[in-house]
Amino acid sequence: MNIFQLSYKNLLRRKVRTSFTVIGIIISTWVLVTLLGFNKGYENSLNNDIDGMGFQIVLTAKGCPYEAATLMLKGGTGLRYMPEEIVKEVNFAEEVDKTTAMLMHAEFDPNKGENGGTIVYLGIDPDTYPEMKPYLNFKQGNWFNEKSVNEIVLGYEAAELEQREIGDLMLILGSELEFKVVGVLNRTGTQDDGMIFLPLKTVQEIFDKKGELTMLGIRLKRDADISAFEEKLYELPDIQVVSMAQVKNTIMNLVSSAKVIVFSIAFIAFLIAMFGVLNTVLMSVFERYQEIGILKAMGALPKDIFNIILIETALLCSIGGIIGIIFSYLFSNVSEIAIRHFLPFTPSGSLIKVDEKIAVISFFAIILIGIIGGIYPALHASNIRPLDAIRSDS
Amino acid sequence: MKKIVTFLIFSVILYSFLFAAVGCDLNDPDRDVKRFFSDSTGYKTAYLSLEKLGGSELLKEVEQKLGDNFQGLYETPDVPYTVYTIYKNSDIIGYIHGINQKGQYGGIQVFLVYDLKGNIINFYYQKLTSKKAKDLRATSFSNQFIGLNLKDFENYDPKTGKTDNKKIIEIKNPNPDNNIDFLATIRAVKKNLILMDIFVFNKNK
Repeated sequence: MNIFQLSYKNLLRRKVRTSFTVIGIIISTWVLVTLLGFNKGYENSLNNDIDGMGFQIVLTAKGCPYEAATLMLKGGTGLRYMPEEIVKEVNFAEEVDKTTAMLMHAEFDPNKGENGGTIVYLGIDPDTYPEMKPYLNFKQGNWFNEKSVNEIVLGYEAAELEQREIGDLMLILGSELEFKVVGVLNRTGTQDDGMIFLPLKTVQEIFDKKGELTMLGIRLKRDADISAFEEKLYELPDIQVVSMAQVKNTIMNLVSSAKVIVFSIAFIAFLIAMFGVLNTVLMSVFERYQEIGILKAMGALPKDIFNIILIETALLCSIGGIIGIIFSYLFSNVSEIAIRHFLPFTPSGSLIKVDEKIAVISFFAIILIGIIGGIYPALHASNIRPLDAIRSDS
Repeated sequence: MKKIVTFLIFSVILYSFLFAAVGCDLNDPDRDVKRFFSDSTGYKTAYLSLEKLGGSELLKEVEQKLGDNFQGLYETPDVPYTVYTIYKNSDIIGYIHGINQKGQYGGIQVFLVYDLKGNIINFYYQKLTSKKAKDLRATSFSNQFIGLNLKDFENYDPKTGKTDNKKIIEIKNPNPDNNIDFLATIRAVKKNLILMDIFVFNKNK
């Protein structure tokens, strides 16, 4: 019987205690892998969401409420406009890959609810907007047929609320004209779901805003320095720059506060696992006090006893670690549901991304923690004096 | 920083605006319930769908009673319907229920207010997009539905707009030159009555 078999059989001699120790290690590993996977998955999903917005920078006129929600809260007032010439000026910059001009318009609808409500329209350039938002797929139909035409594309929720399908007609508030629905978008989980899209030129004409824009979305080239380009944009007069990178950083800062708490819990779980291992192995050493003494009397060196105990520890941690990693793979969806429930903001896509690297790091981390917990019992066992042990009552 | 936090807050608010009302809820239930039942002391909200209550068999039954099939992308058995049960202390004093109906230029939300026997005691367009919306929203139009119940609509055919019931024949379209939203409204009222019969008034049969 070699030293590994001896260690393995020692663990099997105390099945219940070994099982509970392994369960503790499984839970600790599961928590660790899930948290590391969350750290990676959340950032990836957030990046995808922000990239999915299609542009990294939005330009608006200074003081303009650039979000539809602001317009609704303000009853559709407070919009400010910037000249359309800004598009040429920005396109001229070498860092710019693509731009798309937009004109948002809010109208008060007296027939919406008891006291009326605000409807927001977004005028877009059919040549550039779809390219910037490749994730927008159609449930029915397609984008507008021409740049200036009385046609409408509806976000998923807007179409549902208005009960519109392609070919149906709609009225645009502030205009007596009838508009034909030519496209209904699939659900995206973004604010586009509630949007009523019209061609930019049409919005400019019917709402008397020729040559004016509310927003310019900018996508930069891959190697462009976003911060340096933002600095350039700040020099443009009466323009406010909204960077999606800033938005992402802010969200990440908010999330990191939550992550500190979660990692603290993980650390405590780790400590519990370590002391669980220490306790199990130490108890095992005390129970086998005479047996270890006999082994030493038969010629086992302190090093051999130390190795036996440490191998037991490593075996416990390996079994627990592997099962914990498997659990984290199997139950990542359940963990994700729980995280989505507790976190105030979660991006779309997979929040927990467990890969091989995380699995390997977690596996070795749990073994390391276990071995640290096993050193004291191993040292204690290796220092047992054979005669004292054989003479003892236990 | 302040700008960004504002952006985030507004985004959250926007999503709540945009994802609301997939079914047909009152925009402001506290205010609306008081408006229709001034002596009410509270209300309970129940979310029901044909899919959950009886699936395709129930859908067939509803379509048969309606005299028309469910149509298009949005009139489906999984649509959640919201029934408001109105209380005065521990006693039920009435019900409010609304449905979405496809209109000529947009979705129409027709709410009916019921007494305990299933008679209409009030009619309300929560949402209506029409060139003649003002006429349809006039009390002279909505008052025509007061006192009617499911029995009155039994022989009404939503496909042709014809019936032999005198009370329904007498409902006047305020815009005789365009009857699309008028007919959509009558269909919505009949559908509302049928659903309430299943959800509340006749649910044990």
